[in-house]
Amino acid sequence: MIKETVLSLKDVNYRYKDAKKDEYVLRDINYGFKKGKTYAIKGRSGSGKTTLLSLISGLEKNYEGEIRYKNRSLKRMDLDNYRSKNIGIVFQSYNLLPHLTALENIVLSMDVSKVKVKDKKKLASKLVEEVGLDSSMNNRRILKLSGGEQQRIAIARSLSYNPEIILADEPTGNLDRETENEIMKIFNTLAHEQDKCIIIVTHSQNVCDSVDEVYELKKRK
Amino acid sequence: MFIFKNALVSITRNKGRNILIALIIMVIAAACAVTLAIRESAEKIIGSYEEQNKIEATISLDRNNLMSEFKDGEKSPEEMINSFNNIESVSEDEIKTYGESEYLSGYYYTYDLSVNAKDIQEATDSLVKETTTTETESTTKTEKFGNFSGDMGMPPMGGGSSGSSGSRTTIDRKTTTKKTEKIFNEKAESGAFTLTGYNSYDDMKDFVNGNYTITSGEVSGDFDSDTCVISEELATLNNLEVGSKITIVDPKDESKTYELEITGIYKENTDSSSDMGKMFTNSANKIITNANFVKKVLAGNSNLKATLTPTFIVKDSESVEKFSEEVKEKGLSTRYEVTSNVEEIKNATESVKNVRVFATTFLIITLVIGGVVLIVINMINIRERRYEIGVLRTIGMKKSKVAAQFIIELLIVCIGSLSLGAVAGSFASVPVANSLLESEIKNANSKYENISNNFGGGPSMSPMGENNNPGNAPSFGVARVNKVDNINAVVDLKVLAELLGIGLFLTFIGSLVSMISISRFSPLTILKERS
Repeated sequence: MIKETVLSLKDVNYRYKDAKKDEYVLRDINYGFKKGKTYAIKGRSGSGKTTLLSLISGLEKNYEGEIRYKNRSLKRMDLDNYRSKNIGIVFQSYNLLPHLTALENIVLSMDVSKVKVKDKKKLASKLVEEVGLDSSMNNRRILKLSGGEQQRIAIARSLSYNPEIILADEPTGNLDRETENEIMKIFNTLAHEQDKCIIIVTHSQNVCDSVDEVYELKKRK
Repeated sequence: MFIFKNALVSITRNKGRNILIALIIMVIAAACAVTLAIRESAEKIIGSYEEQNKIEATISLDRNNLMSEFKDGEKSPEEMINSFNNIESVSEDEIKTYGESEYLSGYYYTYDLSVNAKDIQEATDSLVKETTTTETESTTKTEKFGNFSGDMGMPPMGGGSSGSSGSRTTIDRKTTTKKTEKIFNEKAESGAFTLTGYNSYDDMKDFVNGNYTITSGEVSGDFDSDTCVISEELATLNNLEVGSKITIVDPKDESKTYELEITGIYKENTDSSSDMGKMFTNSANKIITNANFVKKVLAGNSNLKATLTPTFIVKDSESVEKFSEEVKEKGLSTRYEVTSNVEEIKNATESVKNVRVFATTFLIITLVIGGVVLIVINMINIRERRYEIGVLRTIGMKKSKVAAQFIIELLIVCIGSLSLGAVAGSFASVPVANSLLESEIKNANSKYENISNNFGGGPSMSPMGENNNPGNAPSFGVARVNKVDNINAVVDLKVLAELLGIGLFLTFIGSLVSMISISRFSPLTILKERS
């Protein structure tokens, strides 16, 4: 079965605003990402992995070339809407709101995405269970959770509005190997069973070994 | 809706930060509530004072102008008085002409006629009466002549001569009755009583203002009737009561009498007597009747002259000067001038006005400081919450919604602390207001005491005392005014509305900082910094 390409990058170049004319961080990037697959973008520090992720997530828009989501150029899309509905982002440092509980973080994300579900808390609780946490975690404040638990909540949050693409920036960077494996298991399940496109920025070989495809970014001299 | 819910959660979960902001806003709100309440109450006092004590003007002789005519010393006292007597009084028609003015909201006039009354003792503490003195002038003259002897110096009887020489002493007794020719001021009172005639109830300002109150009977509403009201003092002295009749006598023709029925007895509430040694009030011999009755008495004797006292109610203080100029243009003699109580009214509310100015200044300072403090706190707050902004933006919340959440949070904290501040301010406003006013009054009194001391007088010249108040001193022709010496500052709906406005203004200022900061923050940068 041919998988649909949901995200494509064509001749993407990027340089920082204060950089010299030819000092590009990213040069001639041409990637395609399909549904139901997990991808890893690897590279050494400074190779532009996180920058590429910020371009794909619509957090950075001053680039050359074209990034298309389902054949629609990101440059012509409402990027807030794109982030809140079409992609989920998982960060290395989790980026959850510490004054909220685990469940509240997930529900807030649903609210922002205008998810039309009768009982948002129930759905959030179900998502928490899906990422391998028990319901006792639901009402705990974020800072009362371990790193692995926080990352699972971050993944649950990214799933709360059912996006087709999940972007993860070093999602296992702060976790031990065992937890890393568990997180990767969740990502693979999401891709293979729920037809999500998972794009992981990493420099972990273990992560690269557990994904379907790997793109490598080389630092430009 | 979720923004509001999120704002509420954020407030309750970040108590420390919000309590600090609330405390600062509460202090600002309390200070604003006090100053607004004082300002508002002072405005009301001044407004109501000016409403009650309308600016009134009258026409009176310009004494400075008159004196300048007599200054050169060419005129004898008789000429001066005759010249004064020849000044024509302002007529009823002239008053009506002057009264038709755009600068006035109304006018009225009263007649004052000096009369006598039959079988009534005037209220007076003076027993001095005019007497005519008779002097006897004696001169002794001694004449010498010849062949006179004996007779013990008696003048010769008959005119014959005895033919002998001697001296003769003649005593001339010449009795002269000195004639006292009184050159008097015809305009001054020549009778014992003053008959005052009004045209309507509205004109009877002494009753309207409460200077006089009826203690028995009433003022007749029939302004054509031969009725009057008299003072309590006159009634007591002469055993008069409501229903009694008194007979008015023409002071220049005692054969002409007029009967008045007493319909009421009044009491003067303010002591118009400026002389502490006087037994009776100035109004003791005033018989109050209607203008038509006075006109009837005047019609009976062309030699009688009544004083017409016009009172013009001026729209505002700025119109006084314009009205004065207009009246002069309409032909008022240069010997007359327009005088008003505008200065007295200004002086009476001066302390309250000073308090109002102080309150306004304090309010502006509070607002500026409060605004700056709030901006700074909000900037610190936003910097502290950069991470939260970054997360919210990353999950797709629009800048406007993030800003709205922050504004709602500030607004909730602001309204809560404004309410508490308003309550605190309402308790503090009355004592603070009166303390400020007291201080103002003390300053004013001290100023006047110093002036008084310069003249060798005591604190009796102080303007603020109940009895020594120049504002309470009788003014002639125009309304008397009383000083304002108390402010009951109240946090009312208007003050609350103003406070809410200030709260919204401060929230807006604070929110502006939020909005600018949020629009400038790149979520990626924030999250990178965090990482």
